[in-house]
Amino acid sequence: MGEWIRFWIVAAILMCGIIAFIMATVGVLRFGFVMNRMHASGIGDSLGLGCVVIAMIVASGLNLASLKLLLLILFMWLTSPVSTHFLSTIEINTNPFIRRHVRIVSDESGTVDSKKGMR
Amino acid sequence: MKNRFLPWLYGEQDVMDRMAENVESPDMTRSELKKITRSVEEEYKNRPDVLEAIGRSRSRFRRLYLAVALISCVALTLVLLYTISLMPRYGEENPRTKEVVSRYVEEGLQETGAVNIVSGMILDYRAFDTLGESHVLFTALVCVLILLRIDTKNQMTGYEDYYTVRTDSYFDLSGDPILRLVCAVIIPCVLLYGIYIILNGQNSPGGGFSGGAVLGAGLILFSTAFGFDKVDRLFSLKVSNIVTFVSLAFYSFAKGYVFFMGANGLDAHIPKGTPGAIFSGGMILPLDIAVGCVVGCTMFGFYSLFRRGSVGGQL
Repeated sequence: MGEWIRFWIVAAILMCGIIAFIMATVGVLRFGFVMNRMHASGIGDSLGLGCVVIAMIVASGLNLASLKLLLLILFMWLTSPVSTHFLSTIEINTNPFIRRHVRIVSDESGTVDSKKGMR
Repeated sequence: MKNRFLPWLYGEQDVMDRMAENVESPDMTRSELKKITRSVEEEYKNRPDVLEAIGRSRSRFRRLYLAVALISCVALTLVLLYTISLMPRYGEENPRTKEVVSRYVEEGLQETGAVNIVSGMILDYRAFDTLGESHVLFTALVCVLILLRIDTKNQMTGYEDYYTVRTDSYFDLSGDPILRLVCAVIIPCVLLYGIYIILNGQNSPGGGFSGGAVLGAGLILFSTAFGFDKVDRLFSLKVSNIVTFVSLAFYSFAKGYVFFMGANGLDAHIPKGTPGAIFSGGMILPLDIAVGCVVGCTMFGFYSLFRRGSVGGQL
């Protein structure tokens, strides 16, 4: 009985993760603009990966392997936002038509300088 | 809604397409380059004899090129087909492969002292092959160094500043507080993990190649977050050369010793140790360390050369 309860919990969380990954994939393939695509892929990176790994932790129980999986979540949640941040920064600095897509909130001059925008 | 949604759904039109029409690119370098090539072409238009000579040599070269390519392709195909005809048929009982594989699986642990059978294979039974692989990496690094290194001679063209420095400033992420904070947490873990993979190569999946790649990635991350100046203090061209040379020389010496002593390697003087401990497996651990050093230096050297044209900052 306990095994069955665990199985259904794992299946439910895994399905949530898979749905999140499907949403991320469709978004990455269908959106036209970089920022939209990044937004979509963020769903898979954070929610999808988190759900799948938590399902695996529940499935394996508390042992060394689940601790490693927890570290995996920690690593991905720490690094993925940073890479997304730099993708968006570089997009703002290099795309000449950026103002046609997004509104850039700037503090002083109204232009995002390559140096000022990042530092 | 129908007019815009259905074409977007079928991928015919992008929602953002109309917004970016009829806008000139602000990058002037391409048009300048076109102007220069056009002026050179016009200069040669007044010299029909030169053009004719160029065309003749080109066609002659093309014919020669075609002939050599054809001959070498056919020769290579024949050699490969002949080699394949010598191989045993697929699924057939073959004493050679059968004996070798069963020997590896059954007696690998006793003979090499490595729990990880792959490590025992590539660094003990077939260590000479791995020596060649690490030399291939070193050769690749030397080739990239020859091609991409910016020294005082080819700095005279005056284009480096324009192309490398100007485009690089867009992608220079060093000094960003977010990246610095995250990297200060992550880089020690990455480097420690790489060292763990190298040292534990005989006990768990991993070894010199993958651990060296992790080490190189940690160095690349370090240089991205804190700038090349900080890495140059630790990892200059001199350090890279010394580490690579010492690793390769040690590996070559260990394997050459095996050959000259009739397959009685340095292993004979080193106890195998208990399987599963870090100091076990005889020569596998030192060879793993040597391979890891070479791979890490190569990874970071590639990145540094492609990024700024030098290893360690010296020109």
